Amino acid sequence: MEPVVEIAGVSKLFSGTPVLQDCDLRLEPGRVHGLVGPGGSGKTLILKTLSTLLRPDSGSVILFGTTVDYGDRDGLRALRDRIGVQFQNLALFDFLNVFDNVAFPLVMTPDPPPTDEIDQRVHEALVEVGLPETAHLRLPELSGGMQRRVALARAAISGADLMVFDDPTGGLDPVFSSRIFVLIGELQERTGSTVVLASHDVDRMTRICGRFHVMDQGRRIYSGNIEDGRESEDRRIRTFLTVEA
Amino acid sequence: MTRVLLDVLGTFGQVSLQACRVVGGLTLLQTRILLAMFPPDFDYDETVRQFFKVGVKSVAVVVATALLTGAIMVIQSGNSVQETGATGLVGWATGTAVLSEVGPILIGLMFSGRVGANNTAELGAMVVTDQVNALRVLGMDPVRYLVVPRFLSMIVMLVLLTCIGDLFALTGGAIACQAILGIDQRVFWQSVLDSHLLDEMTMGLVKAFVFGGAISVVSCYFGLNVKGGAEGVGRAVNDSVVTAAISIFVANFLVTTIWI
Repeated sequence: MEPVVEIAGVSKLFSGTPVLQDCDLRLEPGRVHGLVGPGGSGKTLILKTLSTLLRPDSGSVILFGTTVDYGDRDGLRALRDRIGVQFQNLALFDFLNVFDNVAFPLVMTPDPPPTDEIDQRVHEALVEVGLPETAHLRLPELSGGMQRRVALARAAISGADLMVFDDPTGGLDPVFSSRIFVLIGELQERTGSTVVLASHDVDRMTRICGRFHVMDQGRRIYSGNIEDGRESEDRRIRTFLTVEA
Repeated sequence: MTRVLLDVLGTFGQVSLQACRVVGGLTLLQTRILLAMFPPDFDYDETVRQFFKVGVKSVAVVVATALLTGAIMVIQSGNSVQETGATGLVGWATGTAVLSEVGPILIGLMFSGRVGANNTAELGAMVVTDQVNALRVLGMDPVRYLVVPRFLSMIVMLVLLTCIGDLFALTGGAIACQAILGIDQRVFWQSVLDSHLLDEMTMGLVKAFVFGGAISVVSCYFGLNVKGGAEGVGRAVNDSVVTAAISIFVANFLVTTIWI
């Protein structure tokens, strides 16, 4: 099966410091991929690379069978239309209220759906994340956890082919963390999209992720299922995939 | 000695390179803004929001600045006017200075400090919190969505604010004329009208147009190029205000030279 994402030999320097080093990653379609590794290992950067937001210094990025050409604006837009991203720091637009934030991906498409449909889809998305009464609120009126759920609703509303979640449960309590992972799992089952999520919560990730990728020092050092990873001879891989309940 | 010379040359080279980088970046951004304006399909709601934020909320600051500026111009010329008895020239002197030079420059600097700095901080915060990346991944061009509305609103609003400022500066001058110099303010207004200051006023408005463009491009450039977190935003605001002030004085020199 043709992979949705195929990253090969990607390297990136920030101020002379290598942050991604000859990194490879391959994401097969229709499953939930977990990305784990210590802080600073390059998880966020690799997610930004496969979202076309970070241009590598070398290497190639192939999305949906198309090599990313960073100079081709129309080509980039076409690829980005198929990607939904929840950023680590949420990236919600603080000049818009909750409804407008969630509706943004629908409203800003070249061919937006009718207003009634947008209203309905936003309402459904907010119900799914447990925030049906917040549509009119502004972001500062929400707690950090609620904002995280709004970001999840925005990332999911367009039903993108590739959904990227960077630390979707950071700062959430355990109950809501579990609920967010369940939501992501249900979302993937319903849409059939390819999902990749980075998190430190390996325990909860095992419930929805069929495949794990371990990053360390800007390199992918493991791809496979959790069981094989835990029996790896590489101590780093065993450590990162160890359940920390 | 050679080492000191090399250090001096090295520093000079670094500063020159940085200046070239900024000027090049500003030119590229200006070009991208102009390209993004055609066809004009930028976001209407965001543009209206910027017009309100940039213009309406600046009126009080501009009125206060203009009133005091007009009054100060009259007070400065007060001694000469009273000594020579040339009361009929007080409106001409104040009007010429305020409408063509002092008004646009001071209002431009106030505008830069209030709106430009705020704009850099807002865009910088959007960069460090990935909001600009979120726009990109949603297929939006940040220049078209964020910068063009700011560019248009700053140009239009600075021209309108300068019109308001001109009126209040002359009003401030008239009040100071009556209250401090004891010259009837009708003499002041008559002197202004007799001086035929349309040319000076037009030059002032052209300057406001150019200043608005310069402030918007500079503030957006530094906002969109923030590096690092909160510290980077603070540094960008500082650089933006300083560069905008320099741009205002350079633009003022060029417009005045060309006009005269």
